Amino acid sequence: MPLELDRITKRFGAREVVCSVSLTAEDGEFVVLLGPSGCGKSTLLRMIAGLESPDQGVIRLAGADLTRREPRDRDIAMVFQNYALYPHMTIARNIGYPLKVRKRDPREISAEVNGVAARLGLTNLLQNRPRQLSGGERQRVALARAIIRRPKAFLMDEPLSNLDARLRVEMRAELKRLQHELRIVTLYVTHDQSEAMTLAHRIAVMRDGCIQQYDTPSNVYHRPANTFVAGFVGSPPMNLIEVPECPDATLGVRPEDVEISMIDQPGWTAARVYVTEEMGNETLVVLTAGAAQITARGPAASRLDFDTPVWYRFRPGKLHWFDKASGVRLPDHPPSKPADSRE
Amino acid sequence: MKRVFVYAAAAIALVVALAPVYWLVTISLKREIDQFAYPPQWIGFTATLEHYVEAFSGGSFATYFLNSVILAASSTVAALLIGVPAAYGLARFEWPGNWSANIGDWILSTRMLPPIVTIVPLFLMLRQVHLLNSLLGLALVYTAFNLPFVVWMMRSFFEEVPKEIEEAARLDGETRLGALLRIVLPLVRPGLAATAVFCLIVAWNEFLFALILTQTETAMTLPVGIASQVTQYEIRWGAMSAAGVVAMLPVLVFATAAQRYLVRGLSLGAVKG
Repeated sequence: MPLELDRITKRFGAREVVCSVSLTAEDGEFVVLLGPSGCGKSTLLRMIAGLESPDQGVIRLAGADLTRREPRDRDIAMVFQNYALYPHMTIARNIGYPLKVRKRDPREISAEVNGVAARLGLTNLLQNRPRQLSGGERQRVALARAIIRRPKAFLMDEPLSNLDARLRVEMRAELKRLQHELRIVTLYVTHDQSEAMTLAHRIAVMRDGCIQQYDTPSNVYHRPANTFVAGFVGSPPMNLIEVPECPDATLGVRPEDVEISMIDQPGWTAARVYVTEEMGNETLVVLTAGAAQITARGPAASRLDFDTPVWYRFRPGKLHWFDKASGVRLPDHPPSKPADSRE
Repeated sequence: MKRVFVYAAAAIALVVALAPVYWLVTISLKREIDQFAYPPQWIGFTATLEHYVEAFSGGSFATYFLNSVILAASSTVAALLIGVPAAYGLARFEWPGNWSANIGDWILSTRMLPPIVTIVPLFLMLRQVHLLNSLLGLALVYTAFNLPFVVWMMRSFFEEVPKEIEEAARLDGETRLGALLRIVLPLVRPGLAATAVFCLIVAWNEFLFALILTQTETAMTLPVGIASQVTQYEIRWGAMSAAGVVAMLPVLVFATAAQRYLVRGLSLGAVKG
């Protein structure tokens, strides 16, 4: 069932934290709201849940207007960052609570709880209390409580950020699989771009309450709409370089599109190695070229000492151009005279 | 060596604290002739229960006792019924500007007033509505007196409950009230217990208001009743002590039962208040 946001605006006092956000998530789609902290993504999620009310705009789920409905009447489930389990109830009662509130038959509830618990590997923990569980287990309980009543939509507010790094990657895959099986429209808030890239069908990149780009992970990565998206998505982020020949534009190059050579070749530019960072499977080489610092992604073997003289070029056809004043993406070649003299 | 001092200090403190209690209990058990014997009979006196019989068979102490029970219970229940929702509102709802803090401060400010300041106005007000010498009037006063404490103590307990737990309940299908009753209140049960016990003890021990606002036997509470045994012609030490011992028991029971909660609750109030 599609979830539709139509020009949602929210102010806290005089500050506009969400400004006229419109966004549609198709039935069964996994949409990630990505942005730095304070960009309004959590507030947006809370408005969809009904925990905050928008100052303007309409929220529709499966065609029905939810904007003024109570949270309980929206048929939406939410997973919170701190899990928000009920500390005084056993895990079984936690998971079954949404059904109990709906006055379902206790035998039916217990059957459903067992089913969901088995799916999420919680069967042995059903009689425990939340405080006896590890972070990962609590997270799975929160998920179980969310999926047990098969809501029309899922909201997840940084659900993995309290887990340690290894568990986070594990749960990320688990979550993706679960969403694929359930095919319920999901809105997922995170500031972690790797979660966004791996989980999303589409990513909405947010900044200062506005959506910067709403597109597939591939397009967000390969065709960022502006310098903010270019700098926020990707690790390390895209190189953004001022080009003297093109005073009105900023040049963007992904680190993997910077080639390094030990010998001078026609069309290559001289630089020095500022630092190299070995990551195991790859090495990041930071170059100093004039006033600019450029990060290049090289194979694991590329060990270069400090201050080694090297030559670099940008892989042809992999350049991104942005308007310098607005930061907005320009057509693939700069409007003024080409700065590709190096190519 | 250090431990010896610590234990010695503790022992002295204990003796100092318990000596009057011991004196009270023994006097209540001594025959009148032994009560002021010199040198005092610390132990080994002839024990008797005649003072207990005297105090409680006559009827008036039984009435005082019952009055105290009714008053303590009803004023505590009333203070909780009004104060708990108020505390929840202060803890959870956004008030415009800094009203939230201001309302809390105004509520607390009534506790900064020495109680005796309010005695005369209260007397006049209660007389106007014909509630002098009535349990209802006294219960109203006690409720008002305990209310700020309930609000402040319960507010910090409510603030300790992560608001996401409540939000999760609302998304799971609860109304706001349902989430409060079925999720939040069970979580603040220790706080409720500590607050209730504190209110009970305050109401049970209260002397000043009861003394001024009740003058008839039918409305007198235990502390006032005990004090009234000091008459123009005699001081009935035995009956007073017996009643005092009996008056002590409920408080002792409450405090022991809620000791765990009391320490937590009171220190929390101190830190977060």
